[in-house]
Amino acid sequence: MTAPSNSTLRLQYRQLYQNSLRYSLLGTRLTHRPALWNQVRKSHTVITADHVPLRKQLKDEARRKKADKKASPKSSKTLDPRLSRWELTVGLEIHAELNTACKLFSPAATSLNAEPNSHVALFDAAFPGTQPQFQKATLIPALRAALAFGCEVQRKSSWDRKHYFYQDQPNGYQITQYYEVTIGIKQIQLEQDTAKTILQPPSTYLLDFNRVGTPLIEIITLPHIHSPTTAAACVRKIQSLLRAVDACVVGMEMGGLRCDVNVSVRERGTTAEGLSEYAGVKGLGTRTEIKNLSSFKAVEDAILAERDRQIAVLESGGEIEGETRGWTIGQTETVRLRGKEGEVDYRYMPDPDLGPLIIGQDLVDHLKDILPMLPDETAERVVNKYGISTKDARTLISLDDGDRLEYTEAVVETVMQRLASLPEKQRFDKVGKVVADWVLHELGGLLTTAGVPWEIQTVTPEMLADIIVHLQSNQITGNTAKKLLAHYASLQPVAGAAIPSVSEIIDASGLRLVPLTEGEYVEMAQKVMAENPDMVKAVREKGQRGKIMWFVGQMMRRGEEGRVEAEKARLYVERLLEV
Amino acid sequence: MFRMQCFHVLARSSTKSHRWFSSRPIDAEALLSKRTWSVRSLLPSTDTTPDSPQVSSEQLHHLLRLSALPPPKDPSEEARMLRTLSSQLHFVREIQAVDTTGVSPLRTLRDETTEGEQRNEIGLAELKDALCGEDAVGKHHKRVRRRRDQDGQKTAAETWHVLGSAEKLIGKYFVVEGGK
Repeated sequence: MTAPSNSTLRLQYRQLYQNSLRYSLLGTRLTHRPALWNQVRKSHTVITADHVPLRKQLKDEARRKKADKKASPKSSKTLDPRLSRWELTVGLEIHAELNTACKLFSPAATSLNAEPNSHVALFDAAFPGTQPQFQKATLIPALRAALAFGCEVQRKSSWDRKHYFYQDQPNGYQITQYYEVTIGIKQIQLEQDTAKTILQPPSTYLLDFNRVGTPLIEIITLPHIHSPTTAAACVRKIQSLLRAVDACVVGMEMGGLRCDVNVSVRERGTTAEGLSEYAGVKGLGTRTEIKNLSSFKAVEDAILAERDRQIAVLESGGEIEGETRGWTIGQTETVRLRGKEGEVDYRYMPDPDLGPLIIGQDLVDHLKDILPMLPDETAERVVNKYGISTKDARTLISLDDGDRLEYTEAVVETVMQRLASLPEKQRFDKVGKVVADWVLHELGGLLTTAGVPWEIQTVTPEMLADIIVHLQSNQITGNTAKKLLAHYASLQPVAGAAIPSVSEIIDASGLRLVPLTEGEYVEMAQKVMAENPDMVKAVREKGQRGKIMWFVGQMMRRGEEGRVEAEKARLYVERLLEV
Repeated sequence: MFRMQCFHVLARSSTKSHRWFSSRPIDAEALLSKRTWSVRSLLPSTDTTPDSPQVSSEQLHHLLRLSALPPPKDPSEEARMLRTLSSQLHFVREIQAVDTTGVSPLRTLRDETTEGEQRNEIGLAELKDALCGEDAVGKHHKRVRRRRDQDGQKTAAETWHVLGSAEKLIGKYFVVEGGK
């Protein structure tokens, strides 16, 4: 009978242990119930003649995938010649909801998923005779956003009406305005959000006015972007920048940030004559606008599809029309929404109900003083201080609004304190890297599997620091460390009861690592050699030194986890084999 | 027109200091019977053809669409609309003919003095309360975070019956029929 495949085995175990199981890459299992775990482990590691070791399975699969890739070239490769002829240019228009308690021109509360039409002021519903009242507190996140992008804030600015009729715009116009900005970003302006519409097919619209009047900033970039991936990365970066300064805290996936893109292509090497100009950038092809992209992937896919469509049209001798197009996830091409004849004339005019907005320099200076460090600078600081990779640094910064990074730094600080009181030989370097790994992969993985959000997780920095210190100073095995972590992560704190420390648990459960004695090494090595005379022959007589490590591997498999040290085992094997 | 008459009266009384009041009583009817100005002076005379370029039918329909107004029912209504629009444009051109060099446009009636501007300035003092509503977070990775525990509470501006004036509702939603 062949042993069941690894995947069915895993499924069985998952059924046995609901929440506490996690599979690491090497196929070991983690659980905070060691007794059961040990039983299960034994039944799995029985190796039959037909059983293919997991590592070999993975290697074979990787090799097969590589062969497949070589056989069928990816479709993107066939577009390379086109891209050498055509250059893409993209401009972004991002609308982000500001982090405020109330709306821009009424004191009604902002909300995300409240009961429909439960936060609507008379002005939001555009009742005749109502007046806008500028809510000063909305300035704080707006100014922070402007400062984060390095914009120059105008002391005096005014409000304009942008007129258009649509069911989600009860006033018949949107109140909007301008800030002066620096290069890269063309402008940032404050404006009102519209109502939420739900389509009940075929043509009935349900309207929720909760969102009407929520403050938005519109960020318009210059057409400096030349690839779909760069555009998506730009949107991502803008979102992280806004989040870092607490200006906008609801992300794209929750609808708090929306993106329109302007896409045009032109033949490389063409001069500026006869082509369009936008915001001082000359020589651009006719652009189309793709509206309401709601995810980073949608931004990238839509730009790619539109670029290809425009190239196809131009190469077949056609002309690009300046139109508005839409994109649904899963489609392969953008869809026309509105042509030039449907272009809306917004008839901008000053809003006579509102006086000018006058911003005090003391406010701007204060916000500049307390502006949080921006993500790029933070990443640099973290990389320099802890030796963590840039990728890990950025991940830590982006998770849980920076709380994950704060936690990591607290753990590192605690570890350094503990190390100071340890003897020299038990200290270890690259503390930052080790801690970051644990926070991101071990702890992060546990919480993700158990579906526990970071805000309520129970592993304190002290607990994790203790585990790491004990592990790195070889007082416990890696497996014990993971078990301890799982234990602390699933704690239900009882009022008044003290939580046992890592040392206390180790001593109470006898988990302290006892290394093998010389005698034990020798005994184990001799046993393996006795069972495998052919292998012994291969090394001794045929000089196949590579097989020495095979002996080491066998010893590590047989010995209790963590007790067999590879280097030591190798020395003993070599000595016994007399090589 | 009436206001202009008053200005004339006031001007005269200031230069002749009370002599007006000491003499014969004002004959209001006689005073007001003569027109000094009429808005008609800004409109084209009905018998002459307007010298302004005509609005085309296409332009009219475009403007009606932009303003969400219904299109004309028949050619005679369209002709009437075009005539009215034409005279309105004549009126606008008369206004535009006024020399406004050096005059910045009035956006809204506000106190535009320096003191007024100072009073309306939004500075640190005005936002002190709002700034108290946020915390400085983090010892190593310093950030600011607005406290959101009071978010979503109903304010005084939200206590009216929002759905009460709707003709049609589906659940708690307003309804718009989009079909043509």
